[in-house]
Amino acid sequence: MIKTEELTRKFGDFIAVDHLNLQIVRGEIFGFLGANGAGKTTTIRMLCGLLMPSSGRIWVNNLDVAKEGEKVKKSIGYMSQRFSLYQDLKAKENLEFYAGVYATPRAEAWENTLPLLEQFGLKESLNMRTAELPMGYKQRLSLVCALVHNPPLVILDEPTSGVDPQARREFWQVINQLAFAGKTVLVSTHFMDEAEYCHRVIIMQAGKEVALGPPRELKQRFEVQNMQELFMKVAGGINAKLK
Amino acid sequence: MKGLGVLSTFIKKEFRQIMRSREMLLVLFLLPAIQLLVMGFAVTNEVKHIDISFFDLDRSIQSRRLMEAFSSTDRFHLVEVGEQDRPELQLFRWKSKVVIVIPAGFERKLAQGRIPALQLLLDGIDGNTASIANAYVQSCVKGFTEGYLRGKDPRRVGYMLQGQKASEIIIQMSFNPDLQSNLNIIPGIIAVLVTVTSMLLSAISLVKEKELGTLEQLLVTPVKKYQLLIGKILPYLLITLLQLQVAVLLAGLIFGIRVAGSYWVLTLFSIVYLFTSLGFGIFISTRVESQQQAMFFSWFMMVIMILLSGFFVPVQNMPQGVRWVSFANPLTHYMTVLREIVVKGSGLMQLKEELLVLLGGGMLVFGFGILSFRKRV
Ligand SMILES: Nc1ncnc2c1ncn2[C@@H]1O[C@H](COP(=O)(O)OP(=O)(O)OP(=O)(O)O)[C@@H](O)[C@H]1O
Ligand SMILES: [Mg+2]
Repeated sequence: MIKTEELTRKFGDFIAVDHLNLQIVRGEIFGFLGANGAGKTTTIRMLCGLLMPSSGRIWVNNLDVAKEGEKVKKSIGYMSQRFSLYQDLKAKENLEFYAGVYATPRAEAWENTLPLLEQFGLKESLNMRTAELPMGYKQRLSLVCALVHNPPLVILDEPTSGVDPQARREFWQVINQLAFAGKTVLVSTHFMDEAEYCHRVIIMQAGKEVALGPPRELKQRFEVQNMQELFMKVAGGINAKLK
Repeated sequence: MKGLGVLSTFIKKEFRQIMRSREMLLVLFLLPAIQLLVMGFAVTNEVKHIDISFFDLDRSIQSRRLMEAFSSTDRFHLVEVGEQDRPELQLFRWKSKVVIVIPAGFERKLAQGRIPALQLLLDGIDGNTASIANAYVQSCVKGFTEGYLRGKDPRRVGYMLQGQKASEIIIQMSFNPDLQSNLNIIPGIIAVLVTVTSMLLSAISLVKEKELGTLEQLLVTPVKKYQLLIGKILPYLLITLLQLQVAVLLAGLIFGIRVAGSYWVLTLFSIVYLFTSLGFGIFISTRVESQQQAMFFSWFMMVIMILLSGFFVPVQNMPQGVRWVSFANPLTHYMTVLREIVVKGSGLMQLKEELLVLLGGGMLVFGFGILSFRKRV
């Protein structure tokens, strides 16, 4: 589903992402782990076509992102690290807007989102201004908006930062459902318990890959009990948020 | 077909946001009212009781007649001068705004049928007042000349005092015989208003997307940049046109000003001009990061455009170099066109040169804005 080859991004002299080689398959939940500034967001932004790589190549669905960015964009649902829905629109209007932007017919958009809205308990709040929603619900709404066009690839940058444990659980339920339905899910996080739910993770430090593989395998290889310890061991874990 | 759907989605969303934003509504409807009221009444071109002093070196019957021609109107207020006073000091000490020196031999020359010269000194501090005072003086002198010529043999005194110049100014004034200032100022205010609204609002609304991160969210969607730009800009074009209607309506209600020319020509020129001001808005939005910066740069830009547009200081009163800059200023042309349409009722044919200038400028600025947007976003 996704393949990168020596993916690198520099900002001036600073190397934010350093020769990354990834291969992510369909239906996989792939986790990006790393301290603040490790390069997770930069990598994700390149995968979405928001940022041009300094060198290296990316294929999404066998399409070269640099050449066929427009086609690739249709197949991606993206939730950025920063909350970025229109606060002055109603929840419903945000959904309608993104449906329109992806040229998804209204009926189809409802079909894609209604079960999720119900599951998230958002259906009753659809007529509320987005600004008035509690933080956790804003994040839930962001996820729904990213799924309005039923994309095969879902990229979530720290979707669970700043939300309560209940919401985090719901998020991971949905992520699992998505993967089960055959979608590929990329998710970055600072929570090591969440890392355990991923099929595979990459741990990044200063733009480089320091560990890559399924959590269970990694724990065995580095002889640690849990992901928390693993992270401390391979990435120094100075900045890892503890929960 | 799909493209149109995306566009209408954008436009719908933009209007929703505008209707929900109190600031936007204030800018749209209160701003025209306030600007028209404050500026319309405060920045008045109608000059009355201009202090004028005479240095009469002729001391004849005709020179006294000439002075009477000035004192009989409320446009001038006669300031007495003493023996010690000198013409230049009269202006310098702010005792008068206008000084007229009647040379010795004035009456004699008049009788001989030669053109006697009058020296006119104007205080140019306030360019508007000065040019209006100048026009008043010309018309008073002309009145005096006509009075003098009446009953005289036209062949013997077949000249006109002040020659061509006086008659030229009279022609200009005939479109606004009382030099009713509002008639000139209001189209100017409307031109300023159109600029402010379109440039400021479009710059702010574009930067807002950047500032709030919604632009990034849009850039991962398959939306094309031109769709994004049209979707963001078109609503402000429509809004500004709506505001133009509001302003014209208010000008009619408050000042009783009717658009002498065609309404459609006015709208056509406004649309053409909006490409320029929206282009500037786009350009500014690509160079700044926050709404505050956008606001700052738009105001900066607008103040320069307004100052160089002939709104406060007539373009003729500017130094040559500045006049060139003023010519390159699209607002100058738009303001001229608005005045022509509102006051004189000029039609499309009379204004076709201005149309070309505005069209060219608009394409240039708008193109530049789009290029900058494509490169930077
Ligand atoms: N546009 C940019 N210009 C310059 N430097 C940048 C830019 N974007 C990111 N960086 C730098 O690149 C590094 C990696 O940033 P990135 O946002 O990818 O980290 P991250 O792993 O997502 O961190 P966090 O957990 O805080 O989200 C940081 O040091 C950041 O300062
Ligand atoms: Mg990040």
